[in-house]
Amino acid sequence: MSSSPIPYAEQPEWADVVPLPQYESIDPLAPILYTNEYKDATDYLRGIVKVGEKSQRVLKLTEHVIRLNPAHYSAWQYRCETLLAIKAPLDVELKLMDEIAIKHMKTYQVWHHRRLLMTHLLRSTETDKGLQTSSRSPAQIATSELTLIARTLAEDSKNYHTWSYRQWLLAFFSDDSLWERELDFVDSMLNLDVRNNSAWHHRFFVVFQNGVREGEEDRDRILRRELIYVKQNISLAPNNASAWNYVRGILDFNKLPYSTLAPFVQPYTVSHPDTLDDLVDLENPPPSRGAQLPCPAAIEFLADVYEREGGDSVLKATELWKTLGNEHDTIRKRYWEFRVKEGLRTIQAQS
Amino acid sequence: MQPFSFYSYPYDYTTSTGYSYPYSYSDSMDEDFNLPPLARIGHAGHVKRCLSGLPDSQTDLDSSRLAVAFYCIGSLDLLGLIPDKIAQGDLDLWREWIWEQYVSGPNGAGFRPSPFMTPLPASSQNPSSSSDPSSDPGYEYANTPHIIMTYTALLTLSILQDDFSRLDKAGLVRLLRACQRADGSFGTVPPGSGSTSAPGSVTETESDLRTLYCAFVISSLLDCWDGVDVDRAVRYVKGCRTYEGGYGISTGYEAQGGTTYIALASIYLAPSSSSSPSNSYRLTPTEKSQTISWLVRMQHSEGGFCGRTNKSPDACYCFWCGASLKILDADHLVDTRALLSFVADCQFKYGGIAKAPGETPDPYHTYLSLAALSIYSPRPPSPPPSAPSQPVSSSPSTTLTTSSISASASISAPQPSHCHPPVDANKASWMLEPLDPLINARKGTARWARERLKLSTG
Repeated sequence: MSSSPIPYAEQPEWADVVPLPQYESIDPLAPILYTNEYKDATDYLRGIVKVGEKSQRVLKLTEHVIRLNPAHYSAWQYRCETLLAIKAPLDVELKLMDEIAIKHMKTYQVWHHRRLLMTHLLRSTETDKGLQTSSRSPAQIATSELTLIARTLAEDSKNYHTWSYRQWLLAFFSDDSLWERELDFVDSMLNLDVRNNSAWHHRFFVVFQNGVREGEEDRDRILRRELIYVKQNISLAPNNASAWNYVRGILDFNKLPYSTLAPFVQPYTVSHPDTLDDLVDLENPPPSRGAQLPCPAAIEFLADVYEREGGDSVLKATELWKTLGNEHDTIRKRYWEFRVKEGLRTIQAQS
Repeated sequence: MQPFSFYSYPYDYTTSTGYSYPYSYSDSMDEDFNLPPLARIGHAGHVKRCLSGLPDSQTDLDSSRLAVAFYCIGSLDLLGLIPDKIAQGDLDLWREWIWEQYVSGPNGAGFRPSPFMTPLPASSQNPSSSSDPSSDPGYEYANTPHIIMTYTALLTLSILQDDFSRLDKAGLVRLLRACQRADGSFGTVPPGSGSTSAPGSVTETESDLRTLYCAFVISSLLDCWDGVDVDRAVRYVKGCRTYEGGYGISTGYEAQGGTTYIALASIYLAPSSSSSPSNSYRLTPTEKSQTISWLVRMQHSEGGFCGRTNKSPDACYCFWCGASLKILDADHLVDTRALLSFVADCQFKYGGIAKAPGETPDPYHTYLSLAALSIYSPRPPSPPPSAPSQPVSSSPSTTLTTSSISASASISAPQPSHCHPPVDANKASWMLEPLDPLINARKGTARWARERLKLSTG
């Protein structure tokens, strides 16, 4: 326990503020047994908000409330209005908020606040109203944000808010120099954990969902690069749902038939693949030694290839689904039985 | 934030003839049912304790207390305890507290999360001060309706069988209209309220799929969509779809179970209009099978559901993913027994359900786990009134009150009906009141809400 701070009533610089205790009925629902410190700070916050004061000391007070309750959206909102009203240097605010962001990364408000600050910073550099909000260029600001995000993800590599903020930031600044380094960043995250779905999602976001940037105009080359990348990852760790989803994602997005990958997938669908280990085939890297095979995701993929071929191949698909339901993926037995039923219905309709 | 905090937030074979019994019951629960009982009394006790007070470690719930109240009272509703097993005095007090959060202003009517920004009335502070709301900048801060809290308040009041005579329904419509943004999404509170900021200003509160879903439920309950630009909103929802087949919380973000639920529920709540028949909003067959495939793959081999690819199972996703599958008529694809067994392991020994085995419980995970059971283990329809049923005492001495929650035999499992094969007490303890998967409330509660909230226009 840290020692309790001096109550506001005993601080001369707050003597002019009338604290306003919280209204609560006699029989409240889910009342919170607030600490005295939280009660004290929010009493003064209500007092300040009532008179509409926007000043430097309001920044201190709202920071205090936020540290005690980072989900206090009114404190955040009032803080943001105060920052803008007194034209506070936003670089200072960002720096102060770095520590709070990492400490409370699971709180929505922490990241929303940064979005607002970014919006304002960019707006004021564009309009050049002479506000001393930041001495840095937009690219410099965004770069330091990316660094903060990387620091946060080092603490929690799948934090949803933090990844979302990264995606928002990239789209918001939309600066080629920022996008350039994103694939290296994804690589570094996947090197730490190849099953980090947030990193896979981010890769898809960067490569396919934000237009074509300079140097990436040759889309066939990009597609080939991505296929090789994900195949190599599957080769090293075949049982990784994120990588399989990524393969499907890029095939769907580029309207490529699944059958183009059948030669790659086939060795992953059997217990003892008949592949020559010394043959280096970049297009079709084989399962690494010791990989747990067969891989259910590969069987599912191959069954999809057969189903899409139609005709007699659908029967082959149903056989694969049966092995999934009975053997390799029993938790989804009902789902695989459903696929078998649907497949057989297709066959009947064809005959 | 919790895995998918809604402080913010659904079975059967519903046919035109009503509720019919799901076949999943027969093959998943008939043989070898060897789960421990669902600790109904313990779970009711947990949420009742939370209603009476939360420790200071929960201070971050200060600005979402109404949602906590919804999870607690909603749990009691799914357990079938309201109104008969709760003292009438308690029900009245709960209702009054919720109405105390009702606020109304230029931007419409709705509910605030709690009195967390509300000062004691001026009279008790300083009898001489006048109270002219318009001259008080703090007034709006304390009196701004919040869409997510409004959704939870309307459902909770329906559980408590309120008649809504105090509600300005047209005011709700105005609130929704004030909160919708140009991109189709919704802010949690109206722009400019409680602040000097104007619409589109840089101090706007967050807007994402959660709020949009709540706006859709409110419109659906009112049976009035005048507050919503539906086309624009659905376009926003569709933009949240990812290559995996799920939906993220906003455009470009990773697919997640909770946000996939609210995306699907919103799409399936959307009304038909002359310009765009409802069906056009629905998923295409290809999208639907991709989404179903993603959702079933969220069920972990341990039985629980995960929120994202390659994450660990968490009890709340048994609801978010399970209800999503229900909306898509694909609930029969779930391994129900494994799901129940996971929830059984998440039960905390002193009551309440936790996000995972060995963790501590909270009202959010307790409610969502029960809601998942309401979909995957619904109670059979009541036997005909003439059928001899086990006597259930309703005398006041066995009524559940805050002080006597421990020994109340009257809130144990509903007795198995004679219409179905005999079921033992353990199995019966797992059967809950069936749920409306789109609005996330017990079917009876949903019916109450729709009947009382319908806005008669004309």
